Amino acid sequence: MIVGTRILSVEDDERIRTAVKLALEDEGWSVEEADTGEQALTAFQRQPSDVVLIDIMLPGIDGFEVCRSIRRTSDVPIIMVTARADTHDVVAGLEAGADDYLTKPFAPKELSARIRALLRRARSSDSASTHLRFGDLEIIPDEGVVRRAGHEIHLTKTEFRLLVELASSPGRVFSREVLLERVWGYGYFGDGRLVDVHVRRLRTKVEADPANPRHVVTVRGLGYKLQT
Amino acid sequence: MRRHFAHLPRLGLRTRITVAFAVGALLMSVSLSLATVALTRRNLLDQRESSATAQAFTNAETVRRQVSPETDARPMRVLTDLQTPSGSFPVLWLSGNWYAVTPEFGEDALPDELADMVRDGQPARMRFAGSETTHLAIGVPLGSEQEGAYFEIVSLEELEGTLESLSISLVAASIATTLAGAGLGSWAARRVLRPLAGVGRAAGAISAGRLDTRVDASDDPDLAQLANSFNEMAASLEERIRRDARFASNVSHELRSPLMTLAASIEVLENQRDEMPERARSALDLMIADIDRFRQLVEDLLEISRFDAGVMYLDLEEVRLAELVMQAVTSSTDADVQVDIDADLAGVVVRADKRRLVRVIANLLDNAAKYAKGASRVELRKRDHAVLIAVEDDGTGVPPEDRETIFHRFNRGSLANRRLGIDGVGLGLALVGEHIRLHGGAVWVEDRPDGHEGARFVIELPVAS
Repeated sequence: MIVGTRILSVEDDERIRTAVKLALEDEGWSVEEADTGEQALTAFQRQPSDVVLIDIMLPGIDGFEVCRSIRRTSDVPIIMVTARADTHDVVAGLEAGADDYLTKPFAPKELSARIRALLRRARSSDSASTHLRFGDLEIIPDEGVVRRAGHEIHLTKTEFRLLVELASSPGRVFSREVLLERVWGYGYFGDGRLVDVHVRRLRTKVEADPANPRHVVTVRGLGYKLQT
Repeated sequence: MRRHFAHLPRLGLRTRITVAFAVGALLMSVSLSLATVALTRRNLLDQRESSATAQAFTNAETVRRQVSPETDARPMRVLTDLQTPSGSFPVLWLSGNWYAVTPEFGEDALPDELADMVRDGQPARMRFAGSETTHLAIGVPLGSEQEGAYFEIVSLEELEGTLESLSISLVAASIATTLAGAGLGSWAARRVLRPLAGVGRAAGAISAGRLDTRVDASDDPDLAQLANSFNEMAASLEERIRRDARFASNVSHELRSPLMTLAASIEVLENQRDEMPERARSALDLMIADIDRFRQLVEDLLEISRFDAGVMYLDLEEVRLAELVMQAVTSSTDADVQVDIDADLAGVVVRADKRRLVRVIANLLDNAAKYAKGASRVELRKRDHAVLIAVEDDGTGVPPEDRETIFHRFNRGSLANRRLGIDGVGLGLALVGEHIRLHGGAVWVEDRPDGHEGARFVIELPVAS
């Protein structure tokens, strides 16, 4: 149990919001509620929370926009709640900066499991080297710092965990399943698009030319690896 | 007789039009040919007859002059001196004696009737069948001064030859005309039926699920009407199907919100389970189980309404099938079921929607759990360019008459009566069918090959070679 963890829940249906709040409070977390996107942004600016839960279908500014706005200033883990898993919504939500998604109706147990997975700290590199270097890319896992060409770049917590995971065995190919398990805590049944979109997002930050990645490269049919 | 014909396969419209054209052409060309032959024959005969007659009279006059008692020429000499075209044979009867240039065409060749008539002083003409061909015989009495008659036998062989080659040409022309008629009929039929074939293709496409298929409106007013009515029908059909699909989809969407509240609330209650009195706990357990069922039903309904609305998209990726089957079994309620996987299938990769394929296998395992106390064996093996995933159980099996309908929605077949513990809704197998079809595969149920009682559900998926 992570004591003192604060969750911001953005949902316009009052009943759902209340029921989810009750269930999350049973986990020992404190829950702040918002029923519109505007209210959510105000609340987050006033006091940033540890996890944000956003329903995509919101009156006024929608969930994607709320997500993008929060991402401009924060690397907080964001979970999107979508109506359907097979639409473009999922990919759009992930591209807007969400770390994970859930499809309505979900069981609060699933939500708690997702929150716990996102709150895990990045695994420190077990090797002695706490300072990893790949060309112009520099990773300091323990400090949560990544530099490209000497400049610090801002990654979300999940992007950072993904990068550190790949960096833990440079040159080794990680399948999507393995990355889903190590970074998101999913088993075999996780959605591979989580990995794909996060890799895409990661590339826009760590690659000089994201269209021709030199660090995080795709190994067709197998997965991804960090080029040494 | 009628009954007998009723059993004959009915000819297609195209064949019938072609045959009608061919028969029409045949009848027309044959009657034209017959008329032509008859007319030509009569004309030619008339001509030949009148020229032969004129010639015979001229010759008769010559003969009469030369054999008159005053000249006393020899009759044979007179005959041989006559100028007769080839095929004309003069015969002379004079003072009771017969003279002929060719013995073959002498008095015996002449029809008696004609000879008698002419000898009685009456000029006559007659056509008769000779040994090989038709002949014309003309007889002219030589006149009152002398008892005699001049005859000429004219062979009509040449004329018959002409008519024969004319007939042959006409028969050939008739055959050609008939064939041309058949060809024209076939072309016209195809031409006329082409829009109909287009409508047929469109109807096929619509029944295959491409609801937005329409036929091209034609410039031809006769065809435009057909095309327009067809398109109107297709449009209203499409609208109705879409409305039904939307309805199912909307209902399911509307159900999500209350379901979400229920799912979250029941969990809060579940956390207090230990503090509840016994009766409340029982009620809570019932609710938990049924909310779960409710959720499954809504999810299934939503999924199936996506198929109906044609907005079902697979999230295809390369999947190691053996691993997927193992994972699907391990995460099911039947985790300890025996799984047989062909050794050479270990590395086989298919393009599939991983989560949906897992769901399909889970549905088959659920089905076995519901109706047969669980699966007895799961098998994965290769067959030609496909892989088979089979789920077997020890239940009562599926009778042949239910093997098709068991994959229909909300259809639990007559087995619902026999199988025990029915608490599912009949969408699981329908979804299996829809998903597998979308994957380009097939699913069916059969008897267990080992002869034991029980059902064997088989999924066949194509493997890219």
